[in-house]
Amino acid sequence: MIVAKLIDTTSCIGCKACEAACQEWNDQGLRVGVAKSDDGTYQTLPDLRHDFWNLIKFKEVTREDGSFTWLMSKYQCMHCVDAGCLEACPAPGAIFRRENGIVDFDHDKCIGCGYCITGCPFDVPKLSPVTQKVYKCTLCSDRTSVGLEPACIKACPTNCLTFGARDDLVRLADARAEALRADGKGNAGVYNPAGVGGTNVLYVLADATRPEDYGLPRDPTIPWQVRLWKGPIKWIGNAVLVGGVLGAFLHYLRYGPKEVEQ
Amino acid sequence: MTAVRRVLRFSVAERAVHWMTAFSFLYAALTGLALWSPSFFWLSSFFGGGEAVRRWHPWGGVAFAVALGLVFRNWSKDMRLDSEDRKWLRRAHRYAIHDEKGLPEAGRFNAGQKMLFWTQSVAALLLFASGVVLFWPELMPRGLRLAAVLVHPSAAIVSIAGILIHIYMGTAAVPGALRGMIDGWVSEAWARAHHPRWYRESRAVKTHSD
Repeated sequence: MIVAKLIDTTSCIGCKACEAACQEWNDQGLRVGVAKSDDGTYQTLPDLRHDFWNLIKFKEVTREDGSFTWLMSKYQCMHCVDAGCLEACPAPGAIFRRENGIVDFDHDKCIGCGYCITGCPFDVPKLSPVTQKVYKCTLCSDRTSVGLEPACIKACPTNCLTFGARDDLVRLADARAEALRADGKGNAGVYNPAGVGGTNVLYVLADATRPEDYGLPRDPTIPWQVRLWKGPIKWIGNAVLVGGVLGAFLHYLRYGPKEVEQ
Repeated sequence: MTAVRRVLRFSVAERAVHWMTAFSFLYAALTGLALWSPSFFWLSSFFGGGEAVRRWHPWGGVAFAVALGLVFRNWSKDMRLDSEDRKWLRRAHRYAIHDEKGLPEAGRFNAGQKMLFWTQSVAALLLFASGVVLFWPELMPRGLRLAAVLVHPSAAIVSIAGILIHIYMGTAAVPGALRGMIDGWVSEAWARAHHPRWYRESRAVKTHSD
């Protein structure tokens, strides 16, 4: 069964219980505060960190009609079906996909090259300056493997977060978006970007035409540069290696050395 | 046994710098291949494992850049391409099949060697610049990193292709060349055959018999 997480941004109250639960379960050193930070935002940190895998983004948005809205959305690894981090990783097994769809890191195998950081269209993996390895949300694979729901979902007080079978959650998300549209939010929709084959973290957005307002990229894909690097350039490189050695050998057989009469 | 008169082809400084370049290149290339793709990752086990490779490959690259800088200082003057070299390059295929009639006479380096020198110099610049970008994945802008993941392997492929030819030429294909890079001496006959212009100009330079 492929699992997924559904984030209904319309019912997020920005309480950060998920941030705290994530820090607690994953035993991170960094502790989450709820006080307003110095830079005038309620957001805990500007970005994810190697020891902070779950961030509520607080976005202040002015609508076209001049009205103001405050958007909160949980940000973490999207567990892409077509994962850029996995595509870019050179160390076998350091990044792998579990049978249930979770994209996970094996830190014994991670070498800290940071290629996954470049491969990820969501800018999620972060390098630890201490261990020189890369960290991100595991979708609590150590909980889900024993039948528990992820820590963030357990902690959410508003049912904004749901965990379950991906197929069920896609249906649930569609139904929720439909209900929002019926309720007058005409642009409501589901964020499940096709450019990365869909994600195992789904969003319901009150305005799905403007994912940037929630801090989500509009059309995330594995960068074409990464595709080229891991595709044609690799084939050409391998051909040059084999062709070079083979070509030299055949040249020697056909023409031999340039001998000089003493 | 008849004595072979020998000509000094490379000074000890030139040889030392050449081998510093060679070994740092070999290290950077082999560890680079380990980082290139999961199918070459097994190479990392010869160099202390993946983490050691990630840690030391960049410094191998720095050593190579420094060594190549010294090579550049030694040889860049001798490596200038002239009109004779351009003529030579147009007929390079004839050189490859040992049919050297009509090929312009080579000076200290033939045009093929000069092309290798310039190819490696440009590739090394690209490798170094893109390598610096890849070294700090979290500090460098994403656009630069995406350019670097294309430039670094592409330049490496060109560089490795050049070195494969160079190693073949310097060992199997041109007997006597390797000794010139090890103890510095080549036979007069070798010098006359492969680098006639240089031979005529360097006859005043040290010779010895053995």
